[in-house]
Amino acid sequence: MIEGAKWRRWLFFYVPLGAFILFLLFPFYWMVVTTFRPDAELYRPWMAPNYTPFWTLHPTLAHVKYLLGETLFSRWMLNTLVISIAATAISLFCGLLAGYALSRLDFPFAGSLGTGIFVTYLVPQTLLFIPLADIIRNFRLGDTPWSLILTYPTFLIPFCTWLLMGYFKAIPKELEECARIDGATRWKAMVYIIFPIAVPGILSAGIFAFTLSWNEFIYALVFLSSPEQKTVSVGVTSELIRGDVFFWGALMAGALLGSIPVAVIYSFFVEHYVAGLTGSVKG
Amino acid sequence: MARIGRRKLLKLAGAGAVAARSGGIAAILAAGRAPAYAQASSVHWLRWNDFVPASDELLKKEIAPAAEKALGIKLNIETINGNDLQARTTSAIQSGSGPDVICALNNWPQLYAESVVDVSDLAEEIGKAQGGFYEESKVVANDGKKWIALPWCVLGAMICYRKSWFAEEGANKFPETWEEYRALGKKLKAKGRPIGQTLGHTFGDAPTFTYPYLWSWGGKEVEADGKTVVLDSKATVDSVKFMTGFWKDAHDEGGLAWDDTNNNRAFLSGTISATLNGASIYLLAKSKPDTYLTEKGTPLWEDILHSPLPKGPAGQFGYHLPMSNMLMSYSKNQKGAKEFLRWITSKEIYEKWFTSQQGYSVGATTIWENDPLWQKDPVMLPFRAAARAGRFPGYAGPADRHAAEGLSKYLITDMYAKAVQGMPAEDSVKWAAEEFKKIHA
Amino acid sequence: MAVPYALTERPSYAGAPRRGPVTRLLEDQRWLAAVLLAPTIVLLGLFIAYPFVKGVELSVTDATVGVAGHFVGLRNFAALMGDSIFRIAVANTFLYTAVTTVFKLALGLWLALLLNRHFKGKALTRAFVLLPFIIPTVLSTFAWKWMFDPTFSVINWTLFRLGLIHARINWLGDPGLAMVSVIIVNIWRGVPFYAISLLAGLQTINPELQEAAAIDGARPWQRFRYVTWPLLLPVTMVVVLFSIIQTFADFQLVYVLTGGGPANATQLFATYAYQIGVGTGLLSQGAAVSLAMFPVLLVVVIVQLLYIRRVEIH
Repeated sequence: MIEGAKWRRWLFFYVPLGAFILFLLFPFYWMVVTTFRPDAELYRPWMAPNYTPFWTLHPTLAHVKYLLGETLFSRWMLNTLVISIAATAISLFCGLLAGYALSRLDFPFAGSLGTGIFVTYLVPQTLLFIPLADIIRNFRLGDTPWSLILTYPTFLIPFCTWLLMGYFKAIPKELEECARIDGATRWKAMVYIIFPIAVPGILSAGIFAFTLSWNEFIYALVFLSSPEQKTVSVGVTSELIRGDVFFWGALMAGALLGSIPVAVIYSFFVEHYVAGLTGSVKG
Repeated sequence: MARIGRRKLLKLAGAGAVAARSGGIAAILAAGRAPAYAQASSVHWLRWNDFVPASDELLKKEIAPAAEKALGIKLNIETINGNDLQARTTSAIQSGSGPDVICALNNWPQLYAESVVDVSDLAEEIGKAQGGFYEESKVVANDGKKWIALPWCVLGAMICYRKSWFAEEGANKFPETWEEYRALGKKLKAKGRPIGQTLGHTFGDAPTFTYPYLWSWGGKEVEADGKTVVLDSKATVDSVKFMTGFWKDAHDEGGLAWDDTNNNRAFLSGTISATLNGASIYLLAKSKPDTYLTEKGTPLWEDILHSPLPKGPAGQFGYHLPMSNMLMSYSKNQKGAKEFLRWITSKEIYEKWFTSQQGYSVGATTIWENDPLWQKDPVMLPFRAAARAGRFPGYAGPADRHAAEGLSKYLITDMYAKAVQGMPAEDSVKWAAEEFKKIHA
Repeated sequence: MAVPYALTERPSYAGAPRRGPVTRLLEDQRWLAAVLLAPTIVLLGLFIAYPFVKGVELSVTDATVGVAGHFVGLRNFAALMGDSIFRIAVANTFLYTAVTTVFKLALGLWLALLLNRHFKGKALTRAFVLLPFIIPTVLSTFAWKWMFDPTFSVINWTLFRLGLIHARINWLGDPGLAMVSVIIVNIWRGVPFYAISLLAGLQTINPELQEAAAIDGARPWQRFRYVTWPLLLPVTMVVVLFSIIQTFADFQLVYVLTGGGPANATQLFATYAYQIGVGTGLLSQGAAVSLAMFPVLLVVVIVQLLYIRRVEIH
């Protein structure tokens, strides 16, 4: 794609990409090494002559075993997955419809409504969780996955809506008009013409909504109490940080096992974004 | 319904039998009253997750079934990271639903005084039966008129140090005064074995050092009236001045950002010679003798000793984290929860937990100083009566909300941290005093 | 606060005959909009409106945990003006947000352009580059904390071995460096978010436009400046907007990494609000700190929305 000499390709493409990958993935690599490091090596200062930061001489599965055997990790994974998928689905559904309405329809107060939805995003969660606990109690949602499935959309919907509005706006109006001249209803034009074109946008909004739910901490901490209801972030930190001692290996194993499956799923989706494109944009 | 009733009855009969066998007065009392709350019979107890995993195991696997037998309640124990307890407590109180009993750190009961049940009768009873509470436990759990929480334990904080390294510098026992400690630390640091101490924003190891240090120089936040801020005194300024030199001479300068876990790791890895901590370093090293080794390859735990903080011009003090159980007023099962507290704090039951702690926690009452546990390991002995020299932040005033605000804003710790980073001692003291005045305004 | 967007007036098409009443209703833009917006409004109304109002209410009382408190007007806000820690938190938050946003946007855009090319292992790279964003923040921050630890720092080790430093760097202990460290972690977490959003934006741009420009003889930079960038702008603006808001209210990262220390060098709005509201139980003051950032954010939002609108009219 880069025209010209080979060195240009290296200079403008491989080197920067390599640097990015190094910066972005090194901490991840660090977690991998830590997961398989025996405790004795973990407690070695960097000035020590036998400090081997980038590999371990005696890899051990003890931390992974501890995580899977002594904690409810697989259960937390399942909970997190269910909650994230449900919250993402709800948010995408709402965001898709609202985003379409706000960006492509003409109706009174569209502007104020869009801003209104936006403004809800400005309220910091560190404040919100306290009064929100009231609502959770009133609806009797405490200690159920629903307490999170229904509250996560509060910060996901504004995000999805606005992100999708951005994508919708990039789609030329003529597409819809052509379809309508051909006799399609507004609804059909929306569902069959506009939504498919916005697939990459929908996927990226979905990825982000899912990730934000996957990472959320404070609501999950406050609204769930039984160990078997907890999510990964809360479960792992409440089991593997004990007083002033961290179970480093297991903690990092948790981070690792909690993110690799998601990355694999994403790699599948990312493929699809591209596939989704080729047919539609051409028009 | 009938079947459930019968099952309950069977359980109760069993409880009576157990109580009779074990002979605990509290257990018999509890079993006798059991039918009254057979309907509302679950108690949710929220605690921090203990450094000693065996203690949490004990609570969940032994104590909980025993509670069901003895009291007919289903005990639901939840353990979370200590840092996150306040978020949970706050939302529980604000929404009026949550755990029936919350095990609070520090003087949190004072913060939540309007939302807890008066447990004076229970506290008086337990105090009387067990030799009285330590002053530190009392000031956090008693608002001056009544008991707003039932003291549970005190987490001792002692300096944990390397015997052989100290001996190499000619110190066969721990230095008595700050000057001696500084002189020794200077020699140690010269050899790459500094003292490790955090001055960061962390609720355990930072204030448990800075407050007693301040007191030992004669500095204090307020007068006994709890209003007049007297922090900006010569004693405080002296303490800050000494600290800046002490820090440069003897401390690991990385400590400015440490949290409660960093010094554990630094000590276990052999990069610092001494640090103020709970017994967790020693106990962990002892539990894994093959993992934690000295530079000579011998087990690290054999080279560890404990000592209280040194003396200053005004005396020798300590601040140990007290923990107490709050019975929440929104609880729908206050009666059951209270019975549970009476039961679990009773000698027979508490002893099991206390023993599982191996000395990491000291009892909240004096009777536990006589426990045979302390005969087992002389290295743990300094913790035994540690709580006697304990004071609580807010001194000389009460351990009230104002004290908690100063504590949670890390004002005293930051006063030292700022000076260590180069601010003139007078200025950092003035800054902290101003902040305290705003709190008390 | 009405900020209308560019919705050009369009002739409304009359519903074609032989359609059901529902379909006909949905041909009307207003009705369709109402139907489409209903789920969002219901959900947000249920779960945000009340807590938000409650939060505002708290900030004008002297409520503490478990005590309702009395109306005190703007006293809490007035008290903040004289609060030295609050002033530090404000300055820190602005610095933190500004620096990280600039870096995240620049690096994210660059990465998106790189990833938009065809190369071997593209799909895998795209997915794995997202990892910093996927790993639960709390846990990845623990990993960073260790990498910055003065005793164990692998960064120090590397720099030392490379001969770049001779003594250790006290990453989190030095007030200036602590802020730098926090900023680095935030950028690390945020770049993938920008990169993937912008990548998706890049992919909606018709490649034929690029080709046409190339045929007309436009240099790569010119093609980017005059073809790609204007089309990417709407998505970019939204991403920046959300990122600014999120960064402004960032909590977990700092809470885990430094707790706001040393001596408040990394104290932010959100961590300070939490410290006061939850740590000290002064809910009203905590709410006031949280809400003090509201007008600031609102201004940022309005400026950006106006800008987005201007961009679209062009």
